[in-house]
Amino acid sequence: MIKTAQDIKSYKRQLKEALGDRFLRKALDNFNTAYRENRPHVYQGIDFEGIRDEIAAGKDAGLPHLKKMFEEFKVHAEAAGTKVHMAKDALQANEIIARIAREGGVERIIKAKSMTAEETFLNHHLEKTGFEVTETDLGEWIIQLRREGPSHMVMPAIHLSRYQVGDLFETVTREKQDSEDIDKLVKVARKSLRSVFLEADMGISGANFALADSGVLGLVTNEGNMRLVTTLPRIHVALVGYDKLIPNLQSALRILKVLPRNATGQAITSYVTWIKGTNPCLSAPSAHKEMHVVFLDNGRLSLAEDPVFSEALRCIRCGACANVCPIYSKVGGHKYGHVYIGAIGLILTLFYHGSENDRAIVQNCINCQACKSVCPVDIDLPHLIKKTYRAVMDQERQTPVKNVVLSKVMKNRKLFHFILRKAYLAQKPFSKNRPMIRHLPHFFEKKHGFRSLPVIARTPLRDQWKPLSPAVARPEYTIGFFVGCAIDFIYPEQGRALPALLGGHNVQVGFPMDQTCCGLPALMAAEEETAREVARQNIRALAPQKYDYILTLCASCASHLKHNYPKIFKQDPDPPIGLGEFTDKIIDFSSFLVNVLNVSPKAFKRTGKKVAYHSPCHLCRGLNVVDEPRQLIERAGHTYVPSKDEDVCCGFGGSYSVDFPEISSAILNKKLDNIEAADADLLVTDCPGCVIQLRGGMDKRDGRIEVKHLSEALADQLTTDDSQR
Amino acid sequence: MNSPELVQLMKKRAEAVQACVSVVKGFDDIAAYTADLTKKQGGKTIAATGLDAAEYEILGLICESAGLTLLAPPFRNHARNIHTSLTVAGWGIADTGSLVIDSSSEDVRIATMLPETHIAILPAEKIKPDPEALAGELDRILKADTPAYMAFITGASRTADIERVLAIGVHGPRELHILIVEDHHA
Repeated sequence: MIKTAQDIKSYKRQLKEALGDRFLRKALDNFNTAYRENRPHVYQGIDFEGIRDEIAAGKDAGLPHLKKMFEEFKVHAEAAGTKVHMAKDALQANEIIARIAREGGVERIIKAKSMTAEETFLNHHLEKTGFEVTETDLGEWIIQLRREGPSHMVMPAIHLSRYQVGDLFETVTREKQDSEDIDKLVKVARKSLRSVFLEADMGISGANFALADSGVLGLVTNEGNMRLVTTLPRIHVALVGYDKLIPNLQSALRILKVLPRNATGQAITSYVTWIKGTNPCLSAPSAHKEMHVVFLDNGRLSLAEDPVFSEALRCIRCGACANVCPIYSKVGGHKYGHVYIGAIGLILTLFYHGSENDRAIVQNCINCQACKSVCPVDIDLPHLIKKTYRAVMDQERQTPVKNVVLSKVMKNRKLFHFILRKAYLAQKPFSKNRPMIRHLPHFFEKKHGFRSLPVIARTPLRDQWKPLSPAVARPEYTIGFFVGCAIDFIYPEQGRALPALLGGHNVQVGFPMDQTCCGLPALMAAEEETAREVARQNIRALAPQKYDYILTLCASCASHLKHNYPKIFKQDPDPPIGLGEFTDKIIDFSSFLVNVLNVSPKAFKRTGKKVAYHSPCHLCRGLNVVDEPRQLIERAGHTYVPSKDEDVCCGFGGSYSVDFPEISSAILNKKLDNIEAADADLLVTDCPGCVIQLRGGMDKRDGRIEVKHLSEALADQLTTDDSQR
Repeated sequence: MNSPELVQLMKKRAEAVQACVSVVKGFDDIAAYTADLTKKQGGKTIAATGLDAAEYEILGLICESAGLTLLAPPFRNHARNIHTSLTVAGWGIADTGSLVIDSSSEDVRIATMLPETHIAILPAEKIKPDPEALAGELDRILKADTPAYMAFITGASRTADIERVLAIGVHGPRELHILIVEDHHA
């Protein structure tokens, strides 16, 4: 049975255990890489973004009309003999299906894979009621025999090795199995289940589509078991969520273009089947099958009306959000969801299985945006996960102390900066005048020691700024510098590099002193109200009308300012004046230097140093900036050396690395292994948060590769001759 | 795309998902192919649907001389004992290498699901470039107030449920053979 942690402490214990499963780690890490590498081939010649937007728009247009589509479906399905049922919740759905079985004199039931049946724990109910239920999808059969829930929505037994399956099959068949040979293991299922198919009285399936204008169900499968389940027994019951209702075949064909590609990398699955009504069936007394469709509400109909969360109902269950998730690949689906797995699972669990099952897992998102970038229906998963976390806290009327403190401090810039300045003094006994704290004071737990921590700078950038950036008489560009806390208070040298690089380019840089934290940490803690307050302060401080661009050296700040600011004010009746202008003018460091200034390689010494690049999540996915930093590395006289998984998260995620240090460390170590394998002399990135993580990790492992912000790496290479720039 | 191009694309895409595709002249070739393959695989029985009387007779004669049994419908009676099936596809979808088979008849469903080997006849002129090109005709069938069971079949049945390793032939046929015929029922 599924045992999802209901408090954060036992959840962390479970995570630690999962991190120790070496097979799981290796299998899922390989899967993550293979999936991402294969994806571009699968989508060759297909306009992914275009189709994605069309599907999302189509789904959104349908959601307000689910009940109408249900009525339409019912009319057409009944005309072909189908009996259509409505179930308001899981229990009612299970009872309806048990009743159909009882009235039909059923003893044996076979099932095809259905996440909706997992959602209602249908097997459990039917078995309790006295029916014999057999899952026939290979993966589902395996986990049924093991009494487990699925660990992936598409590949339910992905957490198991062939040896575990072989041992299981030996117990089931009482015959010796050759576990090395997966083909043979698959044949065990074929052979063992053939009689079960032929002797069953009732078949249960789910559906991928319910077509309103025809009463047809569409099912997308590979093994062929679903076709047997819907053909051989005399009764077929399909359990279908209301969210599967779509207007017509055309909408289904559009989804079919991306569903198999996103799920399994196939252009189409082996079987796509369209079923309607009481088809001929010789094992039925009437020679026609008894056909039922049970539509499950279980919160969907009210979710469809929710202004924020309705987006989650676009989900077509491809499972890709888990496939690319760096956390899923470390801990597996049993620890990354309740019934529904992956990013979408962290959201849906609240609505389908209650806050008690979501309150721990929902906190385990690093906000790397990988899921969002592959979602075929454009669900803003990371954003909704934080919204879900907030909803859990509101429902349970529980706010962690750290949230209360964070909100109080962040809303008050002077207090916040006062604390940061004091931190410089507080850390002195531990830093021993090095730029990094290698051994954390003993009141930290050991698990936090996976990286050295940077020290707070003696003098923040704001106190050094004035002489660095003199007035420019007739500037070509006037930019506002949004510095961000990490550069201001930890790495002022990264910010000092900026005026040095802009010298000779006729750029006036303003540093408004009232600017404060961008607010991302507040949003990560689901404190949206605090995030809004600091956003107001920043927009006021930066006064966008004064500048051509608002530039940041921090990818996370940039993406938060540009994309989250509009989101957090979406439902605000009184959004700050200048919000649109502010977000329009946000630009990251690399884009400004390459696309606006077009800096010349002549400004830099040519050293040819081998430089690897870590692509920050919030730059490559958050702002879609991919080529510019790599171009800058080359223009600055370095040799860019590619490394594996450059655009995979470094494991930092701000407070994430403090909340889930063991996962953060596992992600970091894989990243550093990849960098070391690339044989570079220097690693650069353009986010100070990533620098904290990467430099700290490299220091801790005594690695020889230096880690720098791109701005520093560039400034180091400047020739002294200004006229060259 | 003209017909020969569609045939080529259909062949390429179906072969990419492990289907065996041949272009054949007429029913004599099809009957011989079916009997030969069944014998080669050590099978003894053939279930055929969708043939006209003359074709059925030809197949019967070839089976008889090859020592094979042409199973009489309903196929449910032979559910544990069908080695090869021979069916006729309504359409092909070149883009994905898929067959579209109206499976509302139980015999067609059983014939395309239970055998070890499924051989499908696909008339060349019925190959469409993509599913959208077929949407109108499918819609007409699916919207009628009658039961329907329409199947897109692409390659043999498959799974990657154990360690993501692709295995062919789980619950459905282990092999899919597509015989594209230029002048079927001409």
